[in-house]
Amino acid sequence: MRISRRAFAAAAAAVVLMPLSACGSGGDGGGSTDASGKVEGDITFQTWNLRANFKSYFEGVISGFEKQYPGTHVKWIDQPAEGYADKISADAAGGTLPDVVNVSPDLVAPLAKAGLAMDLDKAASKYRSEYLSGAWASHQIPGMTGTYAFPWYLNTGPLFYNKSLFKQAGLNADQPPKTYDELFAQALQLAKKTDGKVATLANVPTVEDFGRYGVELMNKAGTAFAFNDAKGIELLTKYKELYDAKALDPQALTATPESSGKKFLTGAVAMNPGSALDLDNFKKQAPTLYKNIGITDQITSTGHVNMYVMGVMVNSKTKHTPAAVAFAHYVTDAQQQMSFAKKVAIFPSTAGSLDDPYFTKEDGTDETRVRIAAAKSLKNAVNYTPVLFSEQMKTALRNEVAKALQGKESPKTALDNAVKQCNTLLQQQG
Amino acid sequence: MSVIERTRPVQKAAVREPRVTDEHGRRIRVWELALRYTLLLAVLAITVGPFLWQLSTSLKGPTEDIYSSPPTFLPEHPTLHNYKRVADTIPVWDYAFNSLKVASANVVTNCAGSALAGYALARLRYRGRRVATLVFILAMLVPVEGIIIAQFTTMRELGLNNTLIGVVLPGCIGAMNVLLMRNAFLNLPYEIEEAAYVDGANVWQRFLRIALPSVKGTIAVVAIFAFMGAWDDFLWPLIVLSDPSKFTLTIGLNYLHGTFANDERLVAAGTVIAVAPLIALFACLQRYFFRGVGEGAVKG
Amino acid sequence: MALSTVSRVRRQLPISPWLFAAPGLLITGAFILYPFGSTLANAFTDRRTLIPGHFVGFANFRELWHDDMFWTGLRNSTLYILGVVPALVVLPLLLALLVQKNIPGITFFRSAFYTPVVASIVVVGLIWVWLLDERGLVNSLLETIGVGRIGFLSDQWLLLLSAMAVTVWKGLGYYMIIYLAALANVPRELHEAASVDGAGAVRRFFTVTVPAVRSTMVLVGALSSVAAFKVFSEVYLMAGPSGGPAGEDTTLVMLVQRTGTGLTGRVGYASALSVVVFVVTVALMLLVLRADRKEDA
Repeated sequence: MRISRRAFAAAAAAVVLMPLSACGSGGDGGGSTDASGKVEGDITFQTWNLRANFKSYFEGVISGFEKQYPGTHVKWIDQPAEGYADKISADAAGGTLPDVVNVSPDLVAPLAKAGLAMDLDKAASKYRSEYLSGAWASHQIPGMTGTYAFPWYLNTGPLFYNKSLFKQAGLNADQPPKTYDELFAQALQLAKKTDGKVATLANVPTVEDFGRYGVELMNKAGTAFAFNDAKGIELLTKYKELYDAKALDPQALTATPESSGKKFLTGAVAMNPGSALDLDNFKKQAPTLYKNIGITDQITSTGHVNMYVMGVMVNSKTKHTPAAVAFAHYVTDAQQQMSFAKKVAIFPSTAGSLDDPYFTKEDGTDETRVRIAAAKSLKNAVNYTPVLFSEQMKTALRNEVAKALQGKESPKTALDNAVKQCNTLLQQQG
Repeated sequence: MSVIERTRPVQKAAVREPRVTDEHGRRIRVWELALRYTLLLAVLAITVGPFLWQLSTSLKGPTEDIYSSPPTFLPEHPTLHNYKRVADTIPVWDYAFNSLKVASANVVTNCAGSALAGYALARLRYRGRRVATLVFILAMLVPVEGIIIAQFTTMRELGLNNTLIGVVLPGCIGAMNVLLMRNAFLNLPYEIEEAAYVDGANVWQRFLRIALPSVKGTIAVVAIFAFMGAWDDFLWPLIVLSDPSKFTLTIGLNYLHGTFANDERLVAAGTVIAVAPLIALFACLQRYFFRGVGEGAVKG
Repeated sequence: MALSTVSRVRRQLPISPWLFAAPGLLITGAFILYPFGSTLANAFTDRRTLIPGHFVGFANFRELWHDDMFWTGLRNSTLYILGVVPALVVLPLLLALLVQKNIPGITFFRSAFYTPVVASIVVVGLIWVWLLDERGLVNSLLETIGVGRIGFLSDQWLLLLSAMAVTVWKGLGYYMIIYLAALANVPRELHEAASVDGAGAVRRFFTVTVPAVRSTMVLVGALSSVAAFKVFSEVYLMAGPSGGPAGEDTTLVMLVQRTGTGLTGRVGYASALSVVVFVVTVALMLLVLRADRKEDA
């Protein structure tokens, strides 16, 4: 019996201690922010769901970089769209974050706070002037100094609408709504004329919608949320009215961007935000819709359209700082961004690129028209989603908005609750 | 599927005299037979129907309306175009091969490890047996979603992240399988082992020659469960693996869904590719699987 | 259960049992229990994904008590047990009886009924979301027969019911196998004796089959209730990450996932939630086993 007990104790000790002792040797030496050394070494570059469509583009970029800097080797890995934040957080917690990582502002914020993203104002300030100043600033974090990712591609797009649905409701299909008041009035009319069968909007308002409506999302110091002001309540009250009249799709509470896109394709919803990329999709998937497609500008009360920003950050723990910084810059420089933009409907964040004839010269096609309008609007576009607005906060807002639409809470109570929850989460982020 | 052939002996009998007998050689009444087949077909429609609908969707061309009402079950112009598009988008065969490797390894380790542990828990008398049983029961109750990052950190400390071994390891001896094996061994009568004991067989010999062959059915069940568990897992392989060349099929499928969510036909083709090998494999092995299940009891 | 009438067989050299159990114990210890141990420890801290936390005592559990979402999750996970477990204890047994007799083609039916188990839950989720879509097959059929379209995936309760239906659909074949194995162990003499006595099929079911597979029914009940309480994938895939309208379909494990993962995950709070899930499942298990023992006595 004694042997067995000892064996058990040994096994138990092994089980408990093995991971711990391994832990002791796991500490990484931090990389430096000095990017001035020789550009060499093996680095890893991680993108976010881009391999499926742009494999050859990225292979070209990488071989170009390796040619320019002999002695470097870039390993490219791409992750699926779903679970990307989980993947990054497991890597960050486990110390296996790649050297150069494709991020969005909300992903970079927690990484920067944990000291895992390199401050590019220190390591790469000489490149700063190459980018649009607004884009460069999009990876700065309230409460911290520094910039934590190179700006990469930008995206924005128009509002698509279904002309035949507008006509059926007795609306002028050639004069789509330009203001929120017009939008709400026409949406109500559409719902009324079709007995609630056709909704105009498919999504509940998100934080960016509040921003575009002119709501102050955060206080001036960026320490607390403030979207429960009169303006915010006004927007939510309007949406409640639309929801009750079925002008906001009854399934909006469970909608995803994909499902609302599908609803637009099948004519169940009359309007949908999108990008030039979608035109191609309409052509293939819904030829009848494509014939009736109307294109108009995003509706805002602020005069600034919303844009999405992608970034490329450098892991502050990288062992090859010069190579990682050089590659992150190489991927995002004007030339690479321009050729990427020509492959797909995105927009470069580098200064001057948007003045390229590709973004200014009409050629009569819808794609070009959409592209030119978007490029123009990007010059003063805003990324409304606050950098510190985490996934958990998005869910909190979404659920409170849903309660207001269902009539379980008044719009004011719902927004008060949402702001309270978001502020608690914000404080916990530290 | 070659199921018909397998039942041919019975069918031949049916040709000679128009009646069907059950396993005891007793005749089954016609109305009972009719009732059974009606029920079987109804359940068949519920269990397999959704897969067939998916298959049908994947074979419909871009011009065909997939939303029509009443629905059209058969594609008007069947096309494999959607499958070609899947293969163009992701290296489907490489991913399937990775899944196959992971799943096979998982089968081997689960069968061996849980048979050994199950035997120890059921048959061997030692102090701490209850504690050991409890360990497996508790492990079964742990909510996996809550410990996945801790698991990843452990794996990284062992230097096994981004390897297929790392994918296999946490589930390679499932607590549930251990308990299944334990129950199987518990159900064996002691007498046969006692006879071997009297003949001087040691514990290892008794395990290999007497106990193990008697629980083939449960081992087949464990094998199938292990294969499917590994083949179907998504979140853990995604977290552990970084290198796209090592991805498994479910991750690939997710790529597809993430990139072409609006394209029902393409997603349908992807799901068919993910499911078809498993169905084919199971169709090949089901004879052993069900025979094993039937033989689970010791004849005596 | 057979007791130690033949304890001679079981008396062994003390070392071999541990050798037999070692691989299983080691793996389980290193990859399940050790990570769970750190989860237990984290439950008393305010740790976040990237920021190590401090000891906060029972603060997480106090917060949990006042968290509406926690109670929503507890409600849904409990409802899930009530909805799914009875179906999964009874239906697969009936199915096993249906496929037990060797009539022509039965092997085909057995394998076919097992297909949903074979498919990955991600695939199953995609298939059913497409089937139950507002314009999917089920609604097309409903419209054709004049019922009209039903928003399966947009109503709070219909969503939960649909997810339960998928769980049952996917679990049928799995538990059918377990029952088939158990039925194979039922001595034929029992059935034959009952037949001779003139018992009909229904009476034989209750007097012979049910008592013979009772311990298996308990096992299935235990397994399916633990699985039901920990349900994640079905609801996550059908109701979306935020858990249906206003998050009303969130289950406890979904809440663990939502609060604890991602770069801003509150690992401490999510760990406290995990601990609660664990405690409830242990209690459930004990309850089922207790009921089993009582009936044994």
